[in-house]
Amino acid sequence: MLVAALLGWELIPRTGWLPELFLPSLSNTLAVLVSDWRIYGSALLVTLGEVALSMLIACGGGIALGAIVGGFARMRNLLLPVFSSLYAVPIVILYPVFTAWFGVGSESKIAFAGLYAFFPVMLSTAAGIRTIDPQYLVAARSMGATLQQQLTRVIIPAALPTVFVGLRLGGALAIIGVVVAEMLTAAAGIGYLVTLNRTILDSPRVFAALILILMLSIVYDAMTRSLERRLLVWQPVKRSPAARPGSGLSASVSAA
Amino acid sequence: MQQLANLDGDSRVQAKAIEVSRLSHVYAGIHGEVLALEDISLQVESGKFTVIVGPSGCGKTSLLMMMAGLRSQSSGELLCHGAPMPQPDPNRVGVVFQEASLFPWLTAAQNVEFPLSLRADPKAARRQRALQMLSLVGLDGFADRYPHELSGGMKQRVSIARGLVQDPQVLLMDEPFAALDEQTRMTMGHELLRIWATTSKTVVFITHSLTEAVYLADEVLVMSARPGRIIDRIAIDLPRPRTYEMMASDKFGGLRERIWQQIRSQH
Repeated sequence: MLVAALLGWELIPRTGWLPELFLPSLSNTLAVLVSDWRIYGSALLVTLGEVALSMLIACGGGIALGAIVGGFARMRNLLLPVFSSLYAVPIVILYPVFTAWFGVGSESKIAFAGLYAFFPVMLSTAAGIRTIDPQYLVAARSMGATLQQQLTRVIIPAALPTVFVGLRLGGALAIIGVVVAEMLTAAAGIGYLVTLNRTILDSPRVFAALILILMLSIVYDAMTRSLERRLLVWQPVKRSPAARPGSGLSASVSAA
Repeated sequence: MQQLANLDGDSRVQAKAIEVSRLSHVYAGIHGEVLALEDISLQVESGKFTVIVGPSGCGKTSLLMMMAGLRSQSSGELLCHGAPMPQPDPNRVGVVFQEASLFPWLTAAQNVEFPLSLRADPKAARRQRALQMLSLVGLDGFADRYPHELSGGMKQRVSIARGLVQDPQVLLMDEPFAALDEQTRMTMGHELLRIWATTSKTVVFITHSLTEAVYLADEVLVMSARPGRIIDRIAIDLPRPRTYEMMASDKFGGLRERIWQQIRSQH
């Protein structure tokens, strides 16, 4: 299927079915990526830097606040509905506010993406802590665990799988947040390259930047999934239904 | 035997394993105060297997939690080997819960080692001891399996191994086989007696099953419905080691019937 898509990408513009302006051929796009690799390389570094810093904010704040809100019943009942509702608000519309507060440089992008990614991390941390079986803590206490040991040896490992899901989603949102912010107001970064080349109608360069963004998301997702697999080797593996006939589609979906 | 006990200077041997005097417990319920346990007095001899039976909600789990140091009573005294239990003391008392409560992120051996790792014992010694315990409960070769790979019966065996790993004098068990099917239950009960025979610990065991109670116990304590009181002490003088055949005997049936009558009279 992937091969067919790539083939289509190459052939459709070439045969004139879609103008090159709308869909530059794959070869043109890749050629530009190779020839301008320095520009793309430094832009990628800027973007990566902003993503990394925003992730730091999102994870640090998200885990800390999630732990507090999830861990204490009163906090939870008061604050969790608030944060869940805020999560539903499309934060992207707030970006202009961030430029007013932080200017048009990297700071506004980091702050914006940080906030954007904060919510899934915080909510999943709260959920992870809430759903810990209280029997684990009773058992730990019966074995003589101190409060600190209960936290580090029981609560953290028990909550980790759920927190990880939040981290995976948070990272994806941080990437989106940074790139979109760069598209709107920037002088550097991949998103900026998209906007710049769009304005001068240089489609191959636009698509080259888009490929990089796509690669970035895919690599991040693959990295976190493999990290999850290694850290969480104790999770029961969900058996794929591939053995059953007539379930080819579900098998390929679950194998993803 | 009495003179020998007196000559022995070790006070721990002389003191009862568990001694409860006039223990009562009140907790704050939704509609005001609730008397959970009323004036409980009992003694468990060292090395004996005592089973507590009683209707649901009678407070037997609460009583066990107090023996474990996980909960404190409102009034009355509770001593374990002569000293009170204000907090859990895994050197004196090990606990096995109904839900095995094994940590799913640790292997069987790591679960068994867990109490030792809390004390920061050296790694090699911990592993050695854990393997020893797993062997005792019949799980040789399963040391590096994760809980999700184990059956219910196997998980409880790991739980028992964990309860025994610090060599406590007393083992408290709260309906440990309740979640297992009947055949596994019978096998596990038999296994437990085998393990107990080699370790000579004091065991206090809670169950709803009267058959299990008679099969396992030296003495059965029957509790009333809430507020929980001890309404009968029944000595089980069946010979040891217990066998499955004994379950068919008249004596077994008679003892079981006696317990059942006591519980029925509550309703």
